Amino acid sequence: MTHEAATLAQVPSDARASASGLHLAEIWGDVVDIRQLGMAIVIGAVISVGTFLIAVQILGSIAPVAAIGRAYAMLAGLGGCVISGVVCARLFAPKRQVIETVADPRWRDEAMDELVKETGSVGHAADLPAVTVDEMKELGLYDTFTSYETRHAEKEA
Amino acid sequence: MENLLFDIVVALTMGLVGAVVFAAIGLVSGTDETTTLAPVTLLVVLLGVPPVGVFTFWMAGAISKHMTHAIPTALLGIPGDTMAVPLLQQATVLRNLGAPHIALRKMISGGIIAAFIAVPLSVLFAVMLAPFGQSITAAAPWLFLVASLLIAYFSPGRWSSVAALFPFVLLILALQGFTGKYGVKLSVSYFLGIAIGPLIADLFSILSPMERLRMSRPGLRKFSLAPDVKGWGGYFPNPFRVLDPSQIKWTAAMAAVSSATFVFSPVAMTVILGEVVGSRVKHAYHRLTTVLSVRNGVTESTYIAEALIPLIAFGLPLSPVAAGPAAPLFNAPPRFSVDAAAGKIVNLHTMMTSWEFLAYGLLSVVLAAIVAYPFSMNYARVAAAFVSRKISHEAIIATFVGLVLVIGIWEGQLLGLLVIVTIGLVGGMLYRILGFNTGVQFMGFYMAILSVPAILKMFGL
Repeated sequence: MTHEAATLAQVPSDARASASGLHLAEIWGDVVDIRQLGMAIVIGAVISVGTFLIAVQILGSIAPVAAIGRAYAMLAGLGGCVISGVVCARLFAPKRQVIETVADPRWRDEAMDELVKETGSVGHAADLPAVTVDEMKELGLYDTFTSYETRHAEKEA
Repeated sequence: MENLLFDIVVALTMGLVGAVVFAAIGLVSGTDETTTLAPVTLLVVLLGVPPVGVFTFWMAGAISKHMTHAIPTALLGIPGDTMAVPLLQQATVLRNLGAPHIALRKMISGGIIAAFIAVPLSVLFAVMLAPFGQSITAAAPWLFLVASLLIAYFSPGRWSSVAALFPFVLLILALQGFTGKYGVKLSVSYFLGIAIGPLIADLFSILSPMERLRMSRPGLRKFSLAPDVKGWGGYFPNPFRVLDPSQIKWTAAMAAVSSATFVFSPVAMTVILGEVVGSRVKHAYHRLTTVLSVRNGVTESTYIAEALIPLIAFGLPLSPVAAGPAAPLFNAPPRFSVDAAAGKIVNLHTMMTSWEFLAYGLLSVVLAAIVAYPFSMNYARVAAAFVSRKISHEAIIATFVGLVLVIGIWEGQLLGLLVIVTIGLVGGMLYRILGFNTGVQFMGFYMAILSVPAILKMFGL
């Protein structure tokens, strides 16, 4: 079984079902639903431009210098951007699936193999400073490395 | 005395605001430095905040964002920023070994130590270069031409970026001429268009049936969130105990070396110096953690040097960081301006002394060390879980679309908006297809406003 399949098995079935009704696409580095994105853009545009234009009207008449009034109106407009972000975050759920995992032992083996590929060995525990040995023992990684080291040495022999 | 006290209060307040705001933004993976730091800093400049406040805001914001963008990189396995990409491989191996929190701690502890070293050294190097400032300013149009070509060649697009620079500059000149006919002079719109180009290009692409096929995904995006283990008592961790003595030594040494460089990209420096150190550490686990501390340290110190050296020594944005995320410190009309042709510079360079840069630079690092460093060390997992479960990408895109509209209309009504969209679409496409990245595009903008007038003058046009 691959990692993909292993993680899929942990996915609650309702999450998979709800995913099927969506039109998912990757935009700017993350996955979105295209229809919801369309709505989010309209909401973002209306709220932020609306706030800005209202602020220009109000501040334009109060501020002593027009440019300063417009700068503050821009600040209000940016506030509008943040508000529209909050609104959209409430309306549209993230299209991500977060799986809480304790590291899979198989991933550990793969990671070890990857490390060996770099230099041909994981190195010798004898080369390590004492603090690093303590740090590795705390993480439960000391034994992983030393046993890998001996196994690897045996294989070589 | 009263003035000094006022400056300190302003710097402290603005620095604290920058640190908190950008520590939060850093948690959202994929938010680029240039897209977030540049427009918000620009706003701070235009609102008339005193120079030391602007500077501390920017520095504390940048360093804090670097602390928190390590969280998605280490815990979720997605780069928090383009600058975190070189750290991803080592971070992923540690994640698979079941120790992602170690990756995070080593990274940001290396970063904070490097930041403390980079600020004084960058100021020192800048002061050493400053005597050449006069002649450098005089030669600025040509320097920008050479720097643009160099930065283009070292971008992912190599020669194609060098070649694409010319039509891109021509596009900017043409747009400037067009808006000029209606008496509209734009600059922020160009910056924002370049910075946000990848998003604009993606939004156009999704409308095209051809491209939609390439972008569509079969299911939700999967993340596995790794568990966290706290290894110290109290709230404030000590970076000198998170790293072992040899890691501190390597991080400090490489931070010092990279503080002297300011024309190469932080990513390139990070990779090269990380390799240099990695080849000297024998044990695989020790190599992983050492390379992570050193690499993140180098990213931090190169970044600081690239912003501070050109700012203090010349007042001209002559590096990828200075032309990108730090651009509003140099150029934010009408308040800050760079007119190299006339040799006239009005920006933080002319408003602050070297001592002020040193003092407020260190203050920024202290603020980031107080706000973002312990936050990342203590709440990394909670924060990563909150962002990935509660903040949809739709909401983030809506916020940025709002930003484009407000800034565009604010600067140039409909014309401003059209310029952002045009530059964003062309720039974003060139980035994706050719590797003509935002750093090169910013240099293209400076080439258009600084080098081209000088070249035309030389030919008597």
